[in-house]
Amino acid sequence: MKLAFVVQRYGLEISGGAELHCRWVAEHMAKYTQVEVLTTKAYDYITWKNHYPHDREDINGIPVRRFPVDRTRNPERFGRIQNFILGNEHKETDELRWLEEEGPHVPALIAHLKEHREEYDYFLFWSYRYYQSYWGIRTVPEKSILVPTAEHDPVVHLRIFRKLFQVPQAFIYNSVEERKMINSLSRNDSVPGDVVGVGSEIPTDISGERFRSKYNVVGDYIIYIGRIDENKGCHKLFEYFLAFKKETGSPVKLFLAGSTVLKIPSHPDIVYLGFVSEQDKFDALNGALLLAMPSFYESLSMVALEAWALGKPVLANARCEVLKGQCLRSKAGLFYESSEEFGEALKLLLSSEKLRQAMGENGRRYFGQNYAWEVIESKYLKILEQLEARKREGE
Amino acid sequence: MGKKIDSKENRMVPVQIDYDHIDVSNIMDQIKAQIAERPKASPLELQQRLQEGRSIEPQPGPRPEPEGPAGPRSRTKRIMLKVMKPFAPVIKFLVLPVHEELRQTILSLDRTNRRLDSLCATMEDELRKLNISIGEGLSETNKRIDEALLELHMSRDYTKLLHNLSHNIVVELTKLKIEEESLKSKVRIMEKDLEFLQKRGKALEKLALK
Repeated sequence: MKLAFVVQRYGLEISGGAELHCRWVAEHMAKYTQVEVLTTKAYDYITWKNHYPHDREDINGIPVRRFPVDRTRNPERFGRIQNFILGNEHKETDELRWLEEEGPHVPALIAHLKEHREEYDYFLFWSYRYYQSYWGIRTVPEKSILVPTAEHDPVVHLRIFRKLFQVPQAFIYNSVEERKMINSLSRNDSVPGDVVGVGSEIPTDISGERFRSKYNVVGDYIIYIGRIDENKGCHKLFEYFLAFKKETGSPVKLFLAGSTVLKIPSHPDIVYLGFVSEQDKFDALNGALLLAMPSFYESLSMVALEAWALGKPVLANARCEVLKGQCLRSKAGLFYESSEEFGEALKLLLSSEKLRQAMGENGRRYFGQNYAWEVIESKYLKILEQLEARKREGE
Repeated sequence: MGKKIDSKENRMVPVQIDYDHIDVSNIMDQIKAQIAERPKASPLELQQRLQEGRSIEPQPGPRPEPEGPAGPRSRTKRIMLKVMKPFAPVIKFLVLPVHEELRQTILSLDRTNRRLDSLCATMEDELRKLNISIGEGLSETNKRIDEALLELHMSRDYTKLLHNLSHNIVVELTKLKIEEESLKSKVRIMEKDLEFLQKRGKALEKLALK
C-alpha cells in the first residue's frame, strides 16, 4: 500500500501544529506502508513564499516531493477578504476567492494528484482550510482521507467547507469535540472516521533540575509553552495571573517558552525564556507545577498531551471546548472562564500537592491509553483496513 | 476521602476532593459555587478599585467605615462624595460586577444584532433594487399597453371610417344605378322619339318629292 501525505508545509524546522502532526504520523506509518509526502516549497505560513530549493528530498527516511507556490499571499488583501466574508452576506464565489488568497496556491501539486492518482492507494490531507486540501480532495475524492485539524474558529462555518466535509472517504479527528463540530456542521455522520489525535515524542532523559540550574530558576513556577499570541489567549493569561498575584501575594512565577508576537508585561514574576530546544522544553515542563493553556482555539493541544505524559496537571481555558473536554475526560486538569475561576483553580492546584499528583497520574494514564504511538498507529491501520474492506465489497 | 483547603483571604466552604476518583466537573462546580457565594463589593469600593487601576474583583471582609469628621482629607472626601452623589447611579452601573458569562452573552447578542443590522441593511438594499426593477418593468409594460390601446383605438376609428366609406359608396352606387336606369329610360324614350321623328321626316320627304 502506498500513502500520500498532503500538507501545506513540511520540514524538520517546522515545530508545531498540523505540519508536525503530519510529519510524526508519516514517520510512524512508514513502518507499515510506503509513504510519500506531497507538499509545497514554502516555509513561512504568512506569505507562503518559496523557501526550499529542491523538488525532492528525503527527510528522516520519508521521500518528500515539493511543489512551488506560484502566488504568495498578500496578508492585507487576505485580511480584507476574510473580514468581508466573516461579516457580510456573501456568495460561494467569495469564499473560493478567500481560499485562493489563503493559499498556499500550488496548482502544480493538484496537477500531480490528477496525473498520478493511480500510483497511490490513499491520500491523507492535513488541515481542511488550505488550498491543497480543498482542491486535492475535490481532485481525488475516491481516495481521500481528511485529517481536518479543525478549531472552533469562524471559517469552519463557510459553505465551501460544509460541502467539502461530505466528500472524503474517511476522517481522522483530533478530538471528540472536533468530530461533533464537523458532524453538526456538515451532517456527515455517515462518513467513516475515528478520533485519533497524535502521539508525542517524549525524550527519555528529562530533568527539571537541569532546567533550574541552566536558567538559574529559584522557587515554584507554572509554565506556558507555545506561540505567545493574543489568538492563543496569552493576554488574558497575563491579566488573570497578575490579578491572582495581587490578590493572593503568591510567590509563584509564570514562565513562557516560545516565539512571541505579543508584548509581555514587565513583571518580575513573568519570565520569558524565548524559543527553547525540545530538551529544554521538556525539562522546563518537568520542573513546572502545572501547564497553563489559555488558548481559545485548539483542535488538539500537543503540549497539553506532553504535560500529561510527564504527569503534570493542566489549567486550561474553558472557552476552548477541546481543552475543556480533554480536562474532563483525562481528569487531569482544571479550567477557567474568568479571572475569578482562574484564581481559584490555580490556588487550589498550587495549594494541594496531592491534587497535582493525582491529576498527574490521571494524565499519564490518559496519555498512555489514548496517545501512545502504538494506539495511534493501530487506529490509522484500522481505518485503512476498513476502507480496503469497503473497496473489496464494492468490487 | 476529602481535603479541606482554606484560602488565606476568604475562609469559605472548602473544596471537597476525592483523590482516588478525581471528578473535575465536580471540582469546577464547587469553585464556581464559591465564587458565586463571595460577598459583593459596594459600588464605592469598586469605584475606588477602578481608580487604583485594579481589576473589578469582589474582595471579602467587612466594608471600611467612613472616616470621622476630623482632618482635611476626610472633609475633602465628604465633599467629593456629596458632589458625586447625583452621579452615583451611573457610577454604580459602570462598576457593577457583571458576570463574565453575562458579558459574553451580551457580546454574543451584540454580535447577533450587528449581523441582523447588516442583514436588514442588505435586505433594504435588495428591496429597493427590487422596487426600482419592478417600477421600471411596470412603466415599460404600461407604456406598451398605452401604445397598444392607442393602436386599438386608431384601428377602431379606421374601421368606423371604412364602414362609413363603404356605406357611402354603396349609397352612391345605388344612386348611380338609379340614375343609370333613369338615363337608360330617357335614352329609350329619346330613341323612340328619334325613330318617330325619322319616320315623320321620311314621310314629309316623300310628300315634298311628290
